[in-house]
Amino acid sequence: MHYGMAIDTKRCVGCSACTIACKMANNIPNDIFWTRVLTDGGDVPDTPAGEFPRVRMRYITVGCQHCENPACVKVCPVGATYQDPDTGVVRQDYDKCIGCRMCMAACPYTGVRSFNWEEPRYQTPYAIGDADAPAHQKHVVEKCTFCYQRITKDEVPSCMDLCPARARHWGDLDDPTSEVSQVIAAREYMQLLPEKGTKPSVYYLV
Amino acid sequence: MTENVSAAKSAKAPSPQFGGSGLRIAIIACALLAVAGVALWALQLSGGMVQTGMRNLDSWGLYITCFMFFVGLSAGGLIISSVPRAFGIAGFGGISKVAVMTSIASTVCAIGFVVVDLGQPARVWELFVYSNLGSPLMWDIVVIGTYLVLSCVYLWAQLQAERGRVSHVALRVIAVVALVCAVLVHSVTAWIFGLQQSHELWHTALLGPWFVSSALVCGTGLVLVVAVALRRAGYFELDQAHVVRLAKLLGAFVCVDLYFLGCDLLTEAFPAASGAEVVGMLVAGPLAPFFWAEVLGCAACAVVCFTPRLRTSPLLAAASLLAIAAIFCKRVQLLVGGFQIANLDLPGAMTSHTVTNWDAGLAGAYAGLVYCPTPLEVGVALGVVALGALVFLAGLRYLPLKPAED
Repeated sequence: MHYGMAIDTKRCVGCSACTIACKMANNIPNDIFWTRVLTDGGDVPDTPAGEFPRVRMRYITVGCQHCENPACVKVCPVGATYQDPDTGVVRQDYDKCIGCRMCMAACPYTGVRSFNWEEPRYQTPYAIGDADAPAHQKHVVEKCTFCYQRITKDEVPSCMDLCPARARHWGDLDDPTSEVSQVIAAREYMQLLPEKGTKPSVYYLV
Repeated sequence: MTENVSAAKSAKAPSPQFGGSGLRIAIIACALLAVAGVALWALQLSGGMVQTGMRNLDSWGLYITCFMFFVGLSAGGLIISSVPRAFGIAGFGGISKVAVMTSIASTVCAIGFVVVDLGQPARVWELFVYSNLGSPLMWDIVVIGTYLVLSCVYLWAQLQAERGRVSHVALRVIAVVALVCAVLVHSVTAWIFGLQQSHELWHTALLGPWFVSSALVCGTGLVLVVAVALRRAGYFELDQAHVVRLAKLLGAFVCVDLYFLGCDLLTEAFPAASGAEVVGMLVAGPLAPFFWAEVLGCAACAVVCFTPRLRTSPLLAAASLLAIAAIFCKRVQLLVGGFQIANLDLPGAMTSHTVTNWDAGLAGAYAGLVYCPTPLEVGVALGVVALGALVFLAGLRYLPLKPAED
């Protein structure tokens, strides 16, 4: 089994609901986002490239690409970043991480890994989201886990739940009948930085 | 050829005793600075690394720059000392033991910089329990540890050999092993960066040999400046001929380093593809001051080293310091330059954890240098350097590093 996701850039409206759903489900501390909406267009978010009426803009939502050939896993000196053999998900062991940030330097996907540069701070005085989401720690690296606590219970990642445009598709890439496999088979898609040879498990339908 | 040997005569007025109150004051000052550094490090750990200039998009900074730099500095001493012995050629006078002492002190600094960069230093024991032997960082930890031990063993063996307790064959074997380890330590440090295709500036096969050449430049520069300074302070007498040979060696290393720089720039720029962006950033972009400081510093150093009339002690010391500064600029270029070009440079929501100058937006963050250290980082770095200086000065004070009388 190898979990993967396909994100339909023709459907995505850049509303950031996935960013917030992810943040809430995983009780992510202030100033940190595991999945972010990037604008492929102008120099600032939500602006198009070109001149009216010939303008072009699309949204690329970026989190960990859960690569089949992950650069981060190779370089972690203590194996705190590892690939789950059962699901293909690239996971992070907060208790093991020594905070050297080698994985952040090795990952070609700018900004998908984040370091807790301080003691985690929250908007609410109590924890929110999934009760079984791992607690955050100061001075360790974290990132999108494909909501590991959910997918082991046969649920879907939280970003899937809230997407109002139904732009995300999820499933087992090894199973040709899964939703994600079928949509990849039927549609034209791209992947981020394919030239790096990391074989991402996230596809962007174009 | 008119070798400038007259400088030796003028400089050869050794003050009667070396290591009086001046040395003691220097040792105490270094110790105090090191303690202050530890206090600042404690502050960094308790208040969080948010107090440093490092952020998610520029996740390494001054500490790793200095780590690279001091690994390089540690080269010279050991190589200057071990090459003549390993190959059975004439050495550089009585500086062998002092040179190895500079290596030991620099290696201590390098290890110190890795430790202060860690978010969870209390978990370093995991490195030995959960070692991922496929990680270049793990290779480096193994090699640099071995290197420190070998440097100490080599120094000890030299001291014992002088007393006739270690045979010269054994000393030569240790010298060869130490030499191989020295080349490895620079290559492996290069591979921490060079094996990462995530950053175009880093990903080049030249990086290994280039780190060795840069290490030879700043390492030889350090030995030269220390030798001239210690002669001046009356620690030992050193024939100017040895200094001149060191200077010629330094000049040659500087030229090799510049040659590698040229090779790399040409290879990046020639296809006029994505590498052109890297070259543009170096020669005319935010990193240009560091780039040109490196090029001009190295060139000026080579001129001094290769012109017999310019080989006076003060000028050689200045040229050595220039070469060391030039290599430091090169380390800054490599580290900051790696982060200066983002693979995914699409605008999105930014927070104070995203990048150092986050409030200026994505374009603003990358307009100047993407990373700039905070005073706290500079303070901790000074503390680590002071620790290295303390090790070196204590070596001068308590170990018989002067040339043997025989």
